[in-house]
Amino acid sequence: MRDIKNIFVIDDDSITLFGVRKMLSRITTTSNVFEFKNGQMAIETIKERILNSNALPEVIFLDINMPILDGWGFLEEFIQLKIEQGILINIITSSIDPNDRERWLSFKDKTHHYIDFVNKPIYKIELKDLHKMDLAS
Amino acid sequence: MPNATALVDKNLNLACSSKGWYTVFSFLEKPIKNQLEYFKSNNNEWFTILEKSLNNGKEIQFRCTIGNTEITKHILWTFKPFLTEENLITGVIVTAKDVSTVVEKEIQIDKLNALLETKSEISKVGTWEYNLENNKLSWSKMTKKIHEVSEEYNPDVETAIKFYKQGHSQNRISMLVHKALENGETFQERLQIITAKGNERWILSSGKPFFKDGKITKLLGTFQDVDEQVKTELKVTESEQLLHTLVDNLPLNIFIKDEGSRKILVNKAECEYLGVKNPKELIGKSDFDLYDADVAQISRDEDLQVLKTLQPILGKETVSTRKDGKKTTFMTSKIPLLDVYGKAYALIGISIDISNLKQKEDELRRLIGITSIQNKKLVNFAHIVSHNLRSHTANFSMLLEFLINEKEQEEKDRILGMLSKASDNLLNTLDNLNEVVKINTNTNVTRESINLKKTFESVHENLIALFERNKVEFKNVIPSKLNIYGIPAYLDSIVLNLLTNAVKYRHPKRTPKITVTAEKEGDRVVFSIEDNGIGIDLNKNGDKLFGMYKTFHSNDDARGIGLYITKNQIEAMGGNIITCSELNKGTTFKVYFNEGY
Repeated sequence: MRDIKNIFVIDDDSITLFGVRKMLSRITTTSNVFEFKNGQMAIETIKERILNSNALPEVIFLDINMPILDGWGFLEEFIQLKIEQGILINIITSSIDPNDRERWLSFKDKTHHYIDFVNKPIYKIELKDLHKMDLAS
Repeated sequence: MPNATALVDKNLNLACSSKGWYTVFSFLEKPIKNQLEYFKSNNNEWFTILEKSLNNGKEIQFRCTIGNTEITKHILWTFKPFLTEENLITGVIVTAKDVSTVVEKEIQIDKLNALLETKSEISKVGTWEYNLENNKLSWSKMTKKIHEVSEEYNPDVETAIKFYKQGHSQNRISMLVHKALENGETFQERLQIITAKGNERWILSSGKPFFKDGKITKLLGTFQDVDEQVKTELKVTESEQLLHTLVDNLPLNIFIKDEGSRKILVNKAECEYLGVKNPKELIGKSDFDLYDADVAQISRDEDLQVLKTLQPILGKETVSTRKDGKKTTFMTSKIPLLDVYGKAYALIGISIDISNLKQKEDELRRLIGITSIQNKKLVNFAHIVSHNLRSHTANFSMLLEFLINEKEQEEKDRILGMLSKASDNLLNTLDNLNEVVKINTNTNVTRESINLKKTFESVHENLIALFERNKVEFKNVIPSKLNIYGIPAYLDSIVLNLLTNAVKYRHPKRTPKITVTAEKEGDRVVFSIEDNGIGIDLNKNGDKLFGMYKTFHSNDDARGIGLYITKNQIEAMGGNIITCSELNKGTTFKVYFNEGY
C-alpha cells in the first residue's frame, strides 16, 4: 500500500488535533499532516495549492463546529473548487444532531468526493479511512 | 173615509150596503147590483170563509186581492156575524178595508229584510233590538246564529249579558249598556262571548239608543262575528311580538337597512352598541352618520354588493370604528331582503361582537409565541449542553483509551497533560452554562429604573485602561434623563461586554472610535453602540452571532460565550438586540428595553 502524501486535519480543538495526529502515526509514516484551526484557513490553503499546482490533500479530517468558517461552510466552498480527483473527507464531530447527519447525506450526493461521517469519540483510525478511493476506483 | 160595509143575510144575499161598499168594486166595468156575484165567479174562498163565519158565529178576518188586469186591490175583509137579541145568527156584516198601500210596504219590507238577511249572512252581522217599553230584547237570525241558539230562542237582557265571557267582556258590556241607557251613549266594542254550545268567540257589539219625546225608548244594535279576524290579528300580533322579542333580546346586533344603506330597523343590542336609548335616534341614519368614514365606505360597498348580486355575505370579520374612536371586531352577515318581484329593497344585517374573542385569540397567540420562543431556547440550550458536554467527554474517552494502551512514560505524561486540559475545559464550559441557566431562571430578581448615561459612564471607567491602551475615541452622547427598567447587574454586564467587543474587534489600521447614543422609541428606550471595527459578515454569520461557542474572528481571546450571555441577559430583562454590520467598516448593536420611570 502506498503512503498517503498529504493529510489535512481541520479542527479548532487542540485535543482532537493531538488525538488524530497520534492515531495517524500508528498507521502511516507520512509526515505531511497539516493542521488548521478553522475552515477558512484550510480553504485558503487549498485554493493556494490549486493556484500553484501544488499537491492537494488526499484525506481531510473535518470538524463541524469551528469559528469563522465551520465545517459545513468549508464543504460548501470545497465542492465548488475544480478538483478532478476524489478526495476522502472524514467528518469527525461530537454532534449527534440528526440535522447534521442529514446535511452530510445531502453533501454526499452533491459531489464526487468521498465524504464520511464519524461521531466522536474515535479511538482508532484505520487504513480504510485513508484509502477508500483506492477501493472504489 | 166612508166605511165599506154590507150586510149579508143567512141566504147569502146582499141585504144592504153602505156607500163606500160600491167604491171597493169601482173597478168593475158594469156596475152590478149584487156584488156577491163577483165573488161567485172570481173568488170561491171568499164565500167559504163567509159561510164559516155564518155557521160558527165567529168573527173572521181575511185578506185577498180583487180587481182586474189593470187594478189590483188588497182588501182586508172582516166577517162579523150579526146576532139577534136571542143570539141567533141572522147574517154577517162584511167590512172591506183597502190595505193596498200597507201590503205594498210590507212587500218592500220583506224584500229589504231578505236583502238584509243575505247581507248579514255574508258579513256575519246580526242585529238586536231592546225595547225599553216592554223590556223585550229581540235578536235577528244572525245574532242567534252567532250565539249558537235556535231560531226560536227568546233572549232577555240578563241572559244576553251572561253570554259574554266572564270578566272583562261581561263587565264591559254591562257598563256600555248601562251608559247607553243612562246617558244615551252609543257604543261599539270587540268582546268575547261563550256561545250556547260553549265556544269562545270574538264579536263586535254596537248599540245606539233611540229617543222618543226626549226619552230613550229603544236600543238598537248590531252584533258581528269577528272571531276569525280577531284571531288572525292576534296571531299576527303574537308573531310580531315573538319576532320583536327575539330580535331585541338576541345577543346580536341586528339591523335592517334600505337601498340607501339607511337604517330602517335596529334592535336593542345595536342601540346599546351605538349608545342610544331610543331606536328612533338611529332610524334613517346611514353608516356615514355613525361610523368612521373609511369603515362606512367599506360597509356601503358591501351593502351595494349584496343588494346587487343578491348573494348574502356570511360571517365576515370586520372591524368597526365608531365616531368616538372605539374599535370593535364584528362577525357580520348581510342578507338581502326581497320584495314580491324578487328585487332586493333592503338588507338584514347581523353582527356578533367578537372583540373579546379576538382579544383572547391575540393573547393566546402571544402566549403561543412566547412558549414557542421559550421552547426554542430550551431546545437550543439542550443542544448546546449536549454538544458541549459530548465534545468534552469524547475527548476524555479518547485520551483515556490512549493512556491505557500507551507504554512510553513520556507520552503518558503528555496524555495526562491533555486530560488535565480537557478537565479544565469541561469545568469552564460548566461555569458558562451555569451562568446562562442563572440568567434565565433568576427572572424574579428585583428590577429597577436605571439611568443609562450613568451606567455607561461607570462601565467606561472600569475599562479605562483597555480604552487608553488601544487609544479608543469614546463618545457618550446619551441624554442624561433616559432611564430603562431592568436589572442593574445585567445592564452593567451587557454594556461591559459590548464595549469590550467593540475594542476587541477593532480594525488594525484605524483608530478605534466608539459612539454610544440613546433615544426613546414609543414606550421603549433604545441605545446603540457603534464602532468602526472589522465588522461581521452578517449574511454568512448572522444566525450564529449570538450562538454559544460561535466565534467569527481568529482572535485568540474569542471564546464565543460573551454575546450568547449578553443576549440571554437582554431577553431576561424583556429587551431585544439587533445588529447592523458591514465587513471592514464597523458594527452597530442596538439594544431595546422598556423605559424606566
